[in-house]
Amino acid sequence: MYKRYRIETSPVELSTTKIGKFEIIRNDSCLNCGRCMTHCIYDVHKRDSDDPRLMSDPVNHLCKNCFSCIQNCPYQALEMIKNKEFEKLGNTYWTPQIIHTIWNEAEEGKIPVFGAGYRGPFRGSGFDDIWTDMSEIVRPTRDGIHGREYIATSVDLGRKLPWIPDFEKLDLTNSYEIQIPMLLDTSPLGLNSRRIILSIIKAAHKLGTLAFLDIKNYFDELKPYLKSIALRCSLDKITHLDRAPWRKVNFIEIALPRKFSISELERVLKKLKSENQTALISLGLTNPSLSAGIFKQFKEARADILNFYADNDGQSFEGNIFICESTRKLQLDLVKERMRDEVTILGKGGIAAAEHVPKIIICGADAAVLDLSLLVAAGCQVCKVCKIDDCPAELEKLGPDIVEQRIINMICAWRDQLLEILSAMGIRDVRRLRGEKGRAIFYEEIERESFEFIFKENGPVK
Amino acid sequence: MKSVEIRNCNSRFHKNIGKYTVSLNDSCFHCGLCVEICPYCVFDRIDGFNHVSTPNSAGCLGPDCKEGPYYCTTKCPVDAIKIELDPQWKTLGDFRWTPDLIITTWQQAETGEIPRGNLEYRIGASGGGFDVFDFTIDDFTAISSEEIDKISTSDKISTSICLNRRGEGPSIEIPVPWYGAGMSFGSISLPSMLARAHSAKAWKTFTSTGEGGYPDELIPYSNHVITQIATGLFGVSEETIKRTPIIEFKYAQGAKPGLGGHLLGDKNTPSVAKMRETVPWNSLFSPFPFHSVYSVEDHKKHIDWVKTINPDALISVKVSTPSDVDMVAVGSYYAGANIIHLDGGYGGTGAAPEIAKKNIAMPIEYAITKVHKFLLEEGVREEIVLLASGGIRTAYDIAKSIALGADGAVIGTSDLIALGCVRCGNCESGRGCPRGIATTDPELEKQINPSWGAQRIINLYASWQKQLKLLLYKLGLKDIKELRGRTDFLRHIDEK
Repeated sequence: MYKRYRIETSPVELSTTKIGKFEIIRNDSCLNCGRCMTHCIYDVHKRDSDDPRLMSDPVNHLCKNCFSCIQNCPYQALEMIKNKEFEKLGNTYWTPQIIHTIWNEAEEGKIPVFGAGYRGPFRGSGFDDIWTDMSEIVRPTRDGIHGREYIATSVDLGRKLPWIPDFEKLDLTNSYEIQIPMLLDTSPLGLNSRRIILSIIKAAHKLGTLAFLDIKNYFDELKPYLKSIALRCSLDKITHLDRAPWRKVNFIEIALPRKFSISELERVLKKLKSENQTALISLGLTNPSLSAGIFKQFKEARADILNFYADNDGQSFEGNIFICESTRKLQLDLVKERMRDEVTILGKGGIAAAEHVPKIIICGADAAVLDLSLLVAAGCQVCKVCKIDDCPAELEKLGPDIVEQRIINMICAWRDQLLEILSAMGIRDVRRLRGEKGRAIFYEEIERESFEFIFKENGPVK
Repeated sequence: MKSVEIRNCNSRFHKNIGKYTVSLNDSCFHCGLCVEICPYCVFDRIDGFNHVSTPNSAGCLGPDCKEGPYYCTTKCPVDAIKIELDPQWKTLGDFRWTPDLIITTWQQAETGEIPRGNLEYRIGASGGGFDVFDFTIDDFTAISSEEIDKISTSDKISTSICLNRRGEGPSIEIPVPWYGAGMSFGSISLPSMLARAHSAKAWKTFTSTGEGGYPDELIPYSNHVITQIATGLFGVSEETIKRTPIIEFKYAQGAKPGLGGHLLGDKNTPSVAKMRETVPWNSLFSPFPFHSVYSVEDHKKHIDWVKTINPDALISVKVSTPSDVDMVAVGSYYAGANIIHLDGGYGGTGAAPEIAKKNIAMPIEYAITKVHKFLLEEGVREEIVLLASGGIRTAYDIAKSIALGADGAVIGTSDLIALGCVRCGNCESGRGCPRGIATTDPELEKQINPSWGAQRIINLYASWQKQLKLLLYKLGLKDIKELRGRTDFLRHIDEK
C-alpha cells in the first residue's frame, strides 16, 4: 500500500550549542535603570532575580545584534563585541556560520528563514561558485510552496540496465531506493563511540536511507538495523566474507587503497557476490582521476556504485581537486561513454550545508554522503584535534535519542531546502536534477560571458 | 524644477554608532579645550556643568583628523584623550552592507551631503559584482570643495529618466534614476510606508505598495505610489489599480526567486490580515507563479486586463534573474510592458529562506548585462525601460547598473537603512523589527515618526543625486541617460 514519506521532527535543544555570535558588555556606568530591558524584545536583559534593583548579566546567546539596547542606553553603558567563543568554532571551511546554521537546523528541523537580503560574499570557492537556476516560465502544475508535496526526493542506488538482454540470466542485483538523496556515514573525524554510531544508524533507518559503517566498528546491537547499513571495508583488509554481517546487508562498500590490483578486486567481488547475491557493491575511491580511466574495468568487476571520498573540506585525498570538479568530470566522461546509468555516483566529504546536496547532484552525483555534518548536528564544534573524552560538545554524554533526533531534524531541514531549490527550478523529481548543469550558473562561465568586454586583458577569473 | 528641501535630521537614538571610540582618562581636568576645538560635536559640556560630558564618539573622524587643525588628542594639555577603533564596529554589518556603508548611509540621511571622512561610502566588501567595479575616471581630489558644491547641485547636469519609452501612453519622468521597491504593509510598518511615500512625493519619484494591499493612509500620495500585483493578489482591488500611475506585476522576487512571498504568522496581525483579506496569525505564502500566467500570451492577457481597468497606467514587470532572463524580458516587452524590473538574487526581503537568498538565481550585475545586450540585438531596447534592483545600495551601485545597461534602479534596503535599520535580519518573525521599521507590532512601530523618516530618505536621495551629478561631470557627461551601457567607463578595481 502507498505510504506517504514523512520525516518526523521534534525540537531538541542542547545547552552546548548556546553560543551566541555577540557578547554584550555592561560597564560600570550602568545605573540599572532598566531601559535596555524595555527596548530588548529578545529577553537578553533582565533584572537580577535575587536583587531586582540590579540588572543581571546579559543573556548573550539570545542577542540578535539589533543594537536597540546599546543605542537607547542613556549612559553609554552597553557595548557589543563579537563573541570570541563563536569565532573560534570550526575552521575556514566549516565556518562558525555553517556550524551555527546546522545547530539551528538540528534544533528545530526547519528551514532557516530570516529577514533582509543575503549578507555573505559575492562568491566563494567550491560550492560557493555555483548558483542554482530558477524558472520564470513554468507549467501549470507547479505551485510554489503548495506543490511541494508532489516533488519526489527518492533516488535509486545501483545500476540501471539499458535493456534486459536475457531473462534467464537476469541479474539478481536490484537497485535500491532511498527516500532522500542523502546517505549517512558513521566514520567522521575522531569518532569511535558506539552510542553515536547507533544513533546515526537508527536515524538512517528512520529516514529510509543508509548509513555507512566500517566493519571494524560493527557490534551486535546493530543487528536489527542491518538493512539500513552499508558495510564498508578496505580492499586490503577484507576477510570473513562468509560471516553474518556481510551476508545480510543490502549494501557493501569496498574502499580502494592507493594501490591495488584489479584481479584482487575481482576476486573479492566475485566472492562477495557468491555469498550475498542481492547486495549492491560500491567502490570507495580516494583518487578522483582513477575513476574515469578504469571505470570500464570496474564495470567488468561489477561495481554498482562509485563513492568519491574527499576530505572534510571537500578536497580529494590525492591531487587537491574539489569534489564538485571531480564529480563533474566523471559525469561527463560517463555520459560520453554512454554508460552513465550503469553506475551510481556518490560524493562524500565537505557536504556541510543544505545547498551542497543539490549542488553536488547538479555536478553529477546521484546522492550525497553526509559525515561530519552529522556530528555537528549533535553539537560538535569541529575542533582542530578531536578528543572524544575532552569534547566541548560532550558528545559522549549525550543521550542516543537526542543525537538521533537532532540528525533527523537537520536532514529534514536539508530535505525541505532541497525541495525549495527544486521547486524554484520547476523540477519535480530530484533524479532529474542529476548532472543538469544547465540548471546552474557557474561563476567562471557567467563572469566571462557577462564581463569579458570590461576585462579585456587580465581576464575576469580569480 | 523646484529643489527638494534638505534639512538636518538627526538619529533617533541616544547613542550613535561610529568607527572610533573616544575616551577621557582620569588626568582630564575638564578644561573644555576639546569642546571648543572639535567641530564634529564629539565633546560637549552642558551649560551649568563643570564636567565635560561623555564623548559622543560617533562624530569622530578618527586618525584622519590628524592632518587638520582640530586634532584633539595632541592639543589636549594633559594627554587625556584617547581615540581607538571601536571593537563594536566589527559587530555591525556584513560583506554586502559593510559597517562603513551603513554608517555613511546614516550620515547621508542625516545631512543630505556626500559623506566626509575616510569611510567607504561607495562600495561594499562582497568581493564581486559592483564591489569590484570602479569608474575609469574617478578622482575628486583635483576639484575644490566649492566646485564640488557647485557641480553637485548644478541644473545643467540631468539625472532624470523617463519611465515610458513607447510611442503611446502617458509620459512619466522622474528626476532621479530610481524609485522605491515594493515593501508590503505587513513586512514593514505603516509609519515606514508613509515615510517612503512622503519622500517619493517630495522627490517626484515613486514607491511601491508591495504585496500587502494599499492602506488608505497612502491615498494622499497616490500619484507617487505604484500598485503591485503579486501572485497572492493580497489586497489588490479595482480601486487600487485605478488609483495608480504605474502597475507593477511581481512575477518573482530576487531574494526568493521561484518560491513566492512569505509572511510568517507572527507578523500577520489583525490589521495586516484585514488588509490582505486573510485570517490573522496564519503564515501567508504567495504562490509561484501567477496561476493565470503560463506563457507570454497569458502575460499579455494579464496586462490587457489591468489596462482595461486603468488605461492610463504604465506597466512594470518585476522578474528575478534566471539564466534565461533575457527571454523573459523580451517576452514582457512583446506583451506590452513599459518597464522591465529585474530583481537580482541578492535582493532584500522581509522574510526568505537563507538558501534561496544565497543560491537561487544570478546576481543582478550579470542579469543587467545579459538583458541589455539581448534587447539591443532584438532592436527593442529603445522602447523599454530596464530597471535593476537586488543589492543596489549606493549612488555608485546605481551608476554602475546604468553603465552596465540599465536605465535606472529600484531601491529597497537603503531606504530602510536611512530609517535606522542595522540589517540585523530579524524582520521575519516574533514582533518583527526591534527598531520599529519592519514590524507590525503596534508598540514597536511607534518608534518611527513618518515625517522624520521621510526627511531622512529625502536627504539620502539628495546626497545620491549630488554624487551622480559629480560623477557625470567627471565622466564628461551632461545626462545620466548618456551613461547607459557605457561599459567603457568601468574597470576592475584591481586593474589600472
